[in-house]
Amino acid sequence: MNYELVCGIETHIELATKTKIFCGCTTEFGGAPNTHCCPVCTGQPGSLPVLNRKVVEYAVRAGLAVNCTINNNSHMDRKNYVYPDLPKAYQISQFDEPVCENGYIELDSGKRIGITRIHIEEDAGKLVHESGTTYIDYNRGGVPLIEIVSEPDISSPEEAREYAEKLQLIMRYVGISDCKMQEGSMRCDVNLSLRPAGSTEFGTRTETKNINSLSNIVKAINREIERQEDILESGGRVVQATMRYDANTDDIYPMRTKENSDDYRYFPDPDILRFYIEPEFVERTKSELPELPSAKLRRYIDDMQLPETTARDIYKYRRVSEFLDSAVTEGASVKNAANMIIGGIYKTLETEEDKEKFDIKITPVQLAELVKLIDEKKINKNKGQEALSKMLESGKAVSEFIKAEDTEGLSEDELIRICRAAVDENPDAVNNIRAGKGKAINVIFGYVMRQTRGKADMGKVNKIISDIIG
Amino acid sequence: MALSKEDFNKLAVLSRLKFSDEEAEKFRNEMDDIIAFADTINNAVSGGTDDIKSTGTDAVLYTELREDAVKESLPNEKILSNVDGSKGFFNVRRCVK
Ligand SMILES: [Zn+2]
Repeated sequence: MNYELVCGIETHIELATKTKIFCGCTTEFGGAPNTHCCPVCTGQPGSLPVLNRKVVEYAVRAGLAVNCTINNNSHMDRKNYVYPDLPKAYQISQFDEPVCENGYIELDSGKRIGITRIHIEEDAGKLVHESGTTYIDYNRGGVPLIEIVSEPDISSPEEAREYAEKLQLIMRYVGISDCKMQEGSMRCDVNLSLRPAGSTEFGTRTETKNINSLSNIVKAINREIERQEDILESGGRVVQATMRYDANTDDIYPMRTKENSDDYRYFPDPDILRFYIEPEFVERTKSELPELPSAKLRRYIDDMQLPETTARDIYKYRRVSEFLDSAVTEGASVKNAANMIIGGIYKTLETEEDKEKFDIKITPVQLAELVKLIDEKKINKNKGQEALSKMLESGKAVSEFIKAEDTEGLSEDELIRICRAAVDENPDAVNNIRAGKGKAINVIFGYVMRQTRGKADMGKVNKIISDIIG
Repeated sequence: MALSKEDFNKLAVLSRLKFSDEEAEKFRNEMDDIIAFADTINNAVSGGTDDIKSTGTDAVLYTELREDAVKESLPNEKILSNVDGSKGFFNVRRCVK
């Protein structure tokens, strides 16, 4: 039988705030265990959580960036479950009044993947299991998260990957998180079921937790499709369960079945006041959103006429695209600037992570200075790349490596300047020309040839000189 | 509303608590009283007299929320002073979800 995939993704993203969601402890990564902790984030009795304003601001920004509506009235709920990664035996999250609802992300095909909701919540602590003991570090406990829940609109592993990739890029563009899947600042849970092709009913779904890379999303989904197909083909039924995908063995297995565990007994957290997000604030946030990835890509391709692959290679790293935009503002042509970045700068940035960080020694102004020499055909592209690698090593300006005499061509302005000088410096020859002694022009030509090291086009020189002498 | 035996037992399982039959009966009755008390308050809030009526405007404004400024955390020894800890960690009996 042919089956069709029904898939939704829940994405947790750690927000790049300075402090935790309910206390002033730092969110800095690392640190000795339990040194970024206080009575609030270790759930001590009598401590009082106070919501971090920045968390709400970032959630609103995230929501607007994926076309959500913002709920002006919102509050926090307690989600109850007993596990030592939560010191209070509940997680402070949101249930029925999330900050954002009803958004979508548009895939390249034009298909929209709905976003049901985005809510804010606290991260849990980290557990290390060793022989008979579980060791707990609450440094990550209380770090703010948003959870972005998609509709089950995804119908292929590739769509799932594209959705996650686009979501990651959008959140990086709006600057609320670095979204590093390997380091856990972005984590995806995939809900997946199969149904006979054409059917409108949903099959039983499983949830594969904490997938830590884009390529593993595809692999885990393929593996889970296989597993569920095998079960259905042999006449069995899929059991609702939480799955774990092991990327090393390409194996997927149930962690626990979900008999009772979904009963979280949510209720409003009585320690935390309801909060009101003013419509004016939402409007202001909306107007302050940066250019989003899809708009940037369209601008690169449609307005700036970059080839699509080039445009994509640039727009997928926020810092690189900002660098290119600045260089263009400084007068560089977009085509040559993009080529210098991809053909030159990228050579020094090997990994995806390096490109994402884009920690380089030169400024957009320096790149623009170099690119303008290429644009004006004063140097060719090879010379440009040579100079660029020296600039990237030293952080020095292009003028350190390319002297005036290295420029191969001559700009029109430069040639006119030299011709003027030739006229000024050779008054006798000019008089002779005016007197009709045609050969006297050779004195002027000789001067221009010396000054330009033979690079000047004599036809052009002839025209410029006659314009000057009249 | 009285708490049924099934609900009580389910709550106990979710809360990782174990009760003898007598204890279960005792706590179930006590919880009945607690819930009845909450019901009383609920009625007071929705129906009630002016002095305990919710104003409905008890939300804080976004601008009144906490500023995102780092405060010093507690020293590790202090955080662990009332718990079973070692190597800077909280220690519990091994549990894997
Ligand atoms: Zn804290």
